Amino acid sequence: MSVSQVNNPDFKARASEFISKKALKREYFIYYIFIAVLLLFAVALHDTAFFSFANFMNIIRQTAPLTVMAVGLTFALAVGHIDLSIGSVVALSALVGAVLLQHVGTPLAVLGALSVGLVVGVVNGLLIERLQVSSLLITLGTMGVITGLARQFTNLESVPIINSNFTGFFGAGEIFGVPSLLIWTLIIAGIGYVVLTKLAFGRHLLAVGGSPKAALAMGIQVTRVRIYALVISSMAAALAGLLYAGRLHGARYTLGEADLLTVIAAVAIGGTSLFGGRACIIGAVLGSWLMGLINNGLILSGFSTNEQMIARGVILIAAVAIGVKEMKNG
Amino acid sequence: MQITWNSIRFFALFTALLFALCFEALATQVQNIDWAKAAKASDISLSETQKKQLKDKKLTAALVWHGASPWITAVTRGAQDAFAQLGVEVVAVTDAQFDPAKQVADLENISALNPDIILSLSVDGISTKQSYQKAISQGAKLVLLSNPIPGFQHGKDFFGIVTDDMFGMGKAAAELVNRSVEGQGKVGIIYHDANYFITNNRDNAFKIKLQEFENLTVVSQRGFIKESETSNIAAAMILQNPELDAIYVSWDAAAEGVVEALRSFGNKKVKVITHDLGVNNLLDMAMSRNMFGTISDRPYTIGSSMAYIAGLAVLDEPTPLFTLVPYDTVTKKNISTIWQHAFKVPVPKLLDLALQQ
Amino acid sequence: MVRTALDQVALELSNLGKSFGPVEALKNVSFKINKGEVVGLLGDNGAGKSTLVRCISGIHAPDKGEVKVNGTAVQINTPLDARKVGIETVFQDLAMIPEFDIVDNLFLNREIKHKNPLLAKLGWLDKKAMQKRAKKAINRLNSRIPSFDTQIQSLSGGQRQAVAIARAVNWGADIVIMDEPTAALGVEQSAQVNELINVISSQGVAVLLISHNMQHVVETCDRAVVLYQGESVADVAVDEVSKEDLVALITGAKSQAQIAEIHAA
Repeated sequence: MSVSQVNNPDFKARASEFISKKALKREYFIYYIFIAVLLLFAVALHDTAFFSFANFMNIIRQTAPLTVMAVGLTFALAVGHIDLSIGSVVALSALVGAVLLQHVGTPLAVLGALSVGLVVGVVNGLLIERLQVSSLLITLGTMGVITGLARQFTNLESVPIINSNFTGFFGAGEIFGVPSLLIWTLIIAGIGYVVLTKLAFGRHLLAVGGSPKAALAMGIQVTRVRIYALVISSMAAALAGLLYAGRLHGARYTLGEADLLTVIAAVAIGGTSLFGGRACIIGAVLGSWLMGLINNGLILSGFSTNEQMIARGVILIAAVAIGVKEMKNG
Repeated sequence: MQITWNSIRFFALFTALLFALCFEALATQVQNIDWAKAAKASDISLSETQKKQLKDKKLTAALVWHGASPWITAVTRGAQDAFAQLGVEVVAVTDAQFDPAKQVADLENISALNPDIILSLSVDGISTKQSYQKAISQGAKLVLLSNPIPGFQHGKDFFGIVTDDMFGMGKAAAELVNRSVEGQGKVGIIYHDANYFITNNRDNAFKIKLQEFENLTVVSQRGFIKESETSNIAAAMILQNPELDAIYVSWDAAAEGVVEALRSFGNKKVKVITHDLGVNNLLDMAMSRNMFGTISDRPYTIGSSMAYIAGLAVLDEPTPLFTLVPYDTVTKKNISTIWQHAFKVPVPKLLDLALQQ
Repeated sequence: MVRTALDQVALELSNLGKSFGPVEALKNVSFKINKGEVVGLLGDNGAGKSTLVRCISGIHAPDKGEVKVNGTAVQINTPLDARKVGIETVFQDLAMIPEFDIVDNLFLNREIKHKNPLLAKLGWLDKKAMQKRAKKAINRLNSRIPSFDTQIQSLSGGQRQAVAIARAVNWGADIVIMDEPTAALGVEQSAQVNELINVISSQGVAVLLISHNMQHVVETCDRAVVLYQGESVADVAVDEVSKEDLVALITGAKSQAQIAEIHAA
């Protein structure tokens, strides 16, 4: 390349355009991983029920609560917060919903359960902003409090739900022949996508996460936006609690316990930055489906439980490695 | 990709083998027990004079549990009611949340109270041993629930182990599976894949007994570690084996996931058999859905037996090494009776409503 | 650069003051800027330049004194207040979101909403309209900018500065404050920024330029206001004083009266 070519402003412009397109590629990362893992299992498990419509629907149903949590957490991460309390909100919301259903109808019970999310989100947000402490510490604290409340609330008893309206709507039922859990997944992912990419509020969320100082200088109410993000995150978790309760026809204090790390991994692998400013809803959905896919494929593989744990870790790392390589080539 | 897959498989198998060898060495150590010599819970009793003697001593007791659940609450209630008859005051109840380190701390804290009696379920016999020893050296009489502590001597370090009749329960579960498919069918097994005394013994007894039924075929066996995994495992199992008739799963909370998976497939055919009592599954059973039956132990009786054995130990009376507490086979018909038997509390309102329908 | 007597006052500060606890960052600041005029704000480190910028742009609210815009007294408590009265600020760090593209940065918190009133209420963005207006704004400054979906973080320093200035001018601002716009730039890029300042002032915008690059001030400004220990101590026409005079004012070695005496003599 000649010197004159380098100094040509047009060339510079094109070069920087090229670089920024490359940076965008990070968002496509999850597609490579997803397809790689899908192919891996399709080949390795060709003699099982893995590659069937019924199994894919099964995976989507299983991961519906995870997906909803992942979409919610994406909002918290977008503004640069982490929300560790989501797992515990799942349990408390499910229990509150289940107990309320013994006394009132579905709408009020749902309202009650979702208000658990609302209250936790507002408390998280206010504490973080007022005390100026990292969200990691505050939500770790509220996680403890909520877990304790969930255990206390029904004295560790699980609470059954016999209201078939509720279990149909949130659980294994169908609406116009489509599984309701699939509908919930699509609705929440759709709303998340629109808010984050089409609405001014989405721009503000990412601006706050990308550079709080700049956002403040541009007149964005940074504190308020951050609190909204945490409310969205914990209300999504509360909805996930209802989905679990609907599926299980009941609630217990252990719900959501094992989900926190899976959700964080799903969101991160989907291209959302853990430090704010970059968020991808489709990535979060695909990320959680990927987790479900790996889990399901390994169960069908005939591995023992221990082998599955090892293989899960290996596949995750291998998938990320493949994704990185594809990105460099692409 | 195939190469990657194979190498993963190889590596996984190799590591698993290593782990398995380590665990095997530990497991055989504790399981060499002559169960024929075990006493029955109904054999344990104290005379009025003995009770009077104990009352005069004004003893204290601490209950050091592994976790917290309605089941443990029932054990505690059984122990407390029995202690009340003996004039023993319960000064502390702890929950280790299945964490050996937490249990060690609990034991250390309790030693400060100097209790005369400790009833306990050890999360992990090896790592908690030292702390038990310290409490014993201060004069506390230890009675254990289910899990033995390696190296502890009966009559010196501890005064007996009260446990479910794990083998009887496993066998009864196999019989219940046979009944659920009316003597012929395909069975799936979802077992607890961790080194845990009670569940391992129950699952193994179940598997051995099941072989006796010639017309039952086991088409799939899968292990789980956490309760939350069973839903996905069951879903995969049903997809893979659409002809399945019944699923055995290690315990109640784990069975909830299985029932949920069946429900989401709209599968009403497959029967589920498990151990222990839980409201959600009993409700499913009461409504004649997938849950066919469960084998229940009697936590209340476990608690009271432990308390009586501790009382005998304080009076220097001989105590049995093992005491087995009986179990019940629960199906739709006897839910209400067994519940009250096991927990000594009324049936939950919702369950009661469902049963009356 | 001679201005006529018909010049109208765009911004007028009288006796502005701001304290942070016991520290009096601004004591008594007064000066005026006319429309189309470029005024340099000079001062040593800690003289109160940044605090003054923050007070005018709404990051801090001043404790005392008065701000008049186009002859009307205004209250500026938030960045939005400042924008409403026509004051735009180009911050030293440019206040841009590195991950956002040019259009998103230009319209941050002033997005063009969808034409459908219902969608507009939701805050639905009209991305096409924003793109169109962004092109106009950049063209107005004759800058060369690569494609508009380029992330800010992959632009050069001069290009970023141009985008930041374009953002300030885009909103029909009467007054633009620029905090050290050339501090991080090379010679060629600084010249481009100077050119931009000339372009916008010729369009009638009043510019307050904060800089400690004397050369830069002499080249671009009509007048210079000097801050010394939180007070405005001098207000001079740039072509009537020497660089040495300015330095003397900044360091407090001489007062404006002393300098006037010397020049008169």
